[in-house]
Amino acid sequence: MKEAMTTLARKSGADYCEIRLEDSWQTSIAYTGKDLENVQESHMFGGNVRVAVDGCWGFVTFNNVNDLESRVREAVASARAASRHARDRSILAPTTPVQAEVRLDPKVDPRRVTLKDKIDLFGSYNDTMLSAPGVTSTNLRYFDKVTRLSYASSEGTWIDREEVDTGMGASAICRKNGTTARGSASEGGRDGFDRFRNLKLRMEEAAQTAVESADAPVVQGGTYTVVCDPHLAGVFVHEAFGHLSEGDNVADDPRMQEILKLGRRFGEDYLNIWDTGLDPGLRGYLQYDDEGVPTEKTWLIKDGVLVGRLHSRETAGRMGEKPTGNARAISYRFPPIPRMRNTCIGNGPHGSFNDLIKDIKLGIYAMESSGGQTNGELFTFTAGQAFMIRDGKVAERVRDVTLGGNVFDTLRNITGVAGDYHVQDSAGGCGKAGQMPLPVSHGSPHIRIKDVLIGGR
Amino acid sequence: MPPIATEKLTRAADAFETFTSEGRSLRVMFENDRLTEIRQGENSGLAIRAVKHGRIGFSYSSKQDEVEQVAEAALRMAPFGKPYEFKFAGPAKNNQTRAVDERCASLDVEKLVQLCNRVKDVIKSIDPEAMAECSIGGGIGRSRILTSTGQECSETDSSFGWFASAKIAEEGNFLQTYRMRSGRNLMDDAEILQGARDAAEEFKVARKTAPLKTGTYPVLFAPSALADILMPIAVSINGLNIAKKTSRLVESLGEKLFDERVTITDDPLHPEGPSGSMYDGEGTVTSRRAIIEKGVLRGFVHSLSTAQQSGHQPTGNSMRSVSSLPMPGLHNVVMDAGSDDLAALFARANGGLCVTQMLGTFTSNFLAGQVSGNISLGYLVQDGQRVGRVKNAALNVNMFDLLKSAIIGISRQREWYGSEYLPWLLVDGVQVSAR
Repeated sequence: MKEAMTTLARKSGADYCEIRLEDSWQTSIAYTGKDLENVQESHMFGGNVRVAVDGCWGFVTFNNVNDLESRVREAVASARAASRHARDRSILAPTTPVQAEVRLDPKVDPRRVTLKDKIDLFGSYNDTMLSAPGVTSTNLRYFDKVTRLSYASSEGTWIDREEVDTGMGASAICRKNGTTARGSASEGGRDGFDRFRNLKLRMEEAAQTAVESADAPVVQGGTYTVVCDPHLAGVFVHEAFGHLSEGDNVADDPRMQEILKLGRRFGEDYLNIWDTGLDPGLRGYLQYDDEGVPTEKTWLIKDGVLVGRLHSRETAGRMGEKPTGNARAISYRFPPIPRMRNTCIGNGPHGSFNDLIKDIKLGIYAMESSGGQTNGELFTFTAGQAFMIRDGKVAERVRDVTLGGNVFDTLRNITGVAGDYHVQDSAGGCGKAGQMPLPVSHGSPHIRIKDVLIGGR
Repeated sequence: MPPIATEKLTRAADAFETFTSEGRSLRVMFENDRLTEIRQGENSGLAIRAVKHGRIGFSYSSKQDEVEQVAEAALRMAPFGKPYEFKFAGPAKNNQTRAVDERCASLDVEKLVQLCNRVKDVIKSIDPEAMAECSIGGGIGRSRILTSTGQECSETDSSFGWFASAKIAEEGNFLQTYRMRSGRNLMDDAEILQGARDAAEEFKVARKTAPLKTGTYPVLFAPSALADILMPIAVSINGLNIAKKTSRLVESLGEKLFDERVTITDDPLHPEGPSGSMYDGEGTVTSRRAIIEKGVLRGFVHSLSTAQQSGHQPTGNSMRSVSSLPMPGLHNVVMDAGSDDLAALFARANGGLCVTQMLGTFTSNFLAGQVSGNISLGYLVQDGQRVGRVKNAALNVNMFDLLKSAIIGISRQREWYGSEYLPWLLVDGVQVSAR
């Protein structure tokens, strides 16, 4: 296949051509309440051809690889049609062609564990949650996916890589007096099935959270000092700053380039943010992106100052910057676009969680996340669970805590960064331009933010 | 499409259902004032549910020629599957038809590129500082269902859609306004250009900001925001939540829940609706059905399985793709128009807000009726006009309360937003937090 793909890519007649094939095997298990709702093993195969002519893209996807040559011709015809009307030309930032074979370590292949073992294990977790007094229902989803990706470009890159991705999300649900409350636990990674063993305690905690939250009052809406746990802070840095850093937001927009000018101060000296593909085992780990560019640790904010952004070859080329290995596609059905990998806030100088809250008279401790969204400037996300902070101590539980605000103000309002960096992967993923869920990670220590708008009663 | 009832299935399975689909699509995309990509997609797939010893197994592949492998995998999954307590669809024919617009199968790339360029020009002519974004495309798809219980149906579907947007990122003011429409038929250039004009006119208004204090306001929801507000209905009438009794509406059929001006229908056969089909994802015949009629709850939406579990009849609402099990869902949500003129509603919203986009509402507790999120695009209304954009504001409403006792008026005018055809809704007493 290597020979055929490389030759076709070279002979396309376009300025640039890449061909991608993707073969994946997925196992999914889902429990809802006591029912084993879904068990499936499935196979997906498909590919795409992406070509550039005079800076315009033609992109063709297919499931049948038999007539690859015609697909290349179609993609070239599309790109030519586009280029006739384009007044502006893209330039791909140069990279060194790569020849690589990445084989899966058999030890991490989840297919080594039988389907029955998986069903039994997750069934036992589901039972743990369901048997907790007060829990009325549950949701538990597990998946594992092994993918073989073959990639050839007209510039001579050939990558044949295997990868594994796994994830689990579990929720205990408590319904009481017309109120529905949840408690959640999640796990995920790229280093095999073992990380899913021994999670019983986390299931018990999820059940406890659900039951206690159902009795908790809805938070009083208003503006508070909020301390976020590492998980929620990670979601915040992903949603609020990571997306803003993606090159396609900036490359074509002179106003955005002004707003996101390198060297501009975004936070206090102790604010450090980066995105990295180099953390083995995390869902955001990636050796090569979907343009064959080796990944790296990309600094975004260093000592409070903007120093970088996340690029594909195209966005890097348009801005005269260096590709960062962030071009990712969720599957062969989509072209690669700038996306995050593992996005992090680094440890800060403000000690422990207790140090962060000790001076807060009235605030909120917001933990975990049940989702978030941003439009670039505004963000909103909902805490998985939350407590009031009163007189420097964690006080009563509250529920329905939705945090919202302006990204730029909020980054400036980070008044404390603890030293307890932590990453917790889950089964979810990032969504952008119809491509969801892309495996990503996010990590952070506890952080303290002043003046956060909390939606509530 | 290849034959889909294999010897293995008929021999080894006690019952089975095969679902195949294939489609082709084309889309032209403009971003930040420039043509970025022409995308052509081909997708196909095959899914099988097979019953063995009273349990259902499921598997799929994107390769239609892997029938044997998929059948084998489905049978292998069966011991772990759910009990087969319903019956796969039996022979039934939908006597209604849906027109297919064959033109969607052979869209002219050059023409679409030119149209995108005209959209950009329209937007720039109204506000030269706006960055234009536009995509136009469509395609054609075919699906086929065959069951061992006697149903054999196939359907061809055409699709066409466009998106036109004006945006700007300024210090302290990120703004994007848009119009979009998807349907089953090729749309006129004039309609698309008018959409671009509307998005750009709204953009001009939105560039001005207006101050807002935390408080209680009348709010006029545009169809694009009303779609978010109605989410608790979609979730609460969904067969999954009826079968599991997690919906508060389980016992409410026939009960008056809302203001009698609220009538909502699910219409799988709407000629303009982008969703819908003659047969649902399990081969059940679909029909137009009342969900809410003059405020009274009239119907749930079920798959074969949720109907059986709930003791109801199937409603033809199974939604699926090749890679997913059938789940109940709505086809095209059509809300009846009201009797109020839109201009009159704006006049009555004096001192209140007009909301056109919400952000992050999907994390709300819909089963409880809660809808909360940022107002990502909302306006202060004075003297019947949107006078400026309201920023840094969030709202939190309970939809059940809102539609029961807070409705001031419903517009005569309606618009498509995705697969929902909705009017503008003016309600009173909405708590808005602002900073």
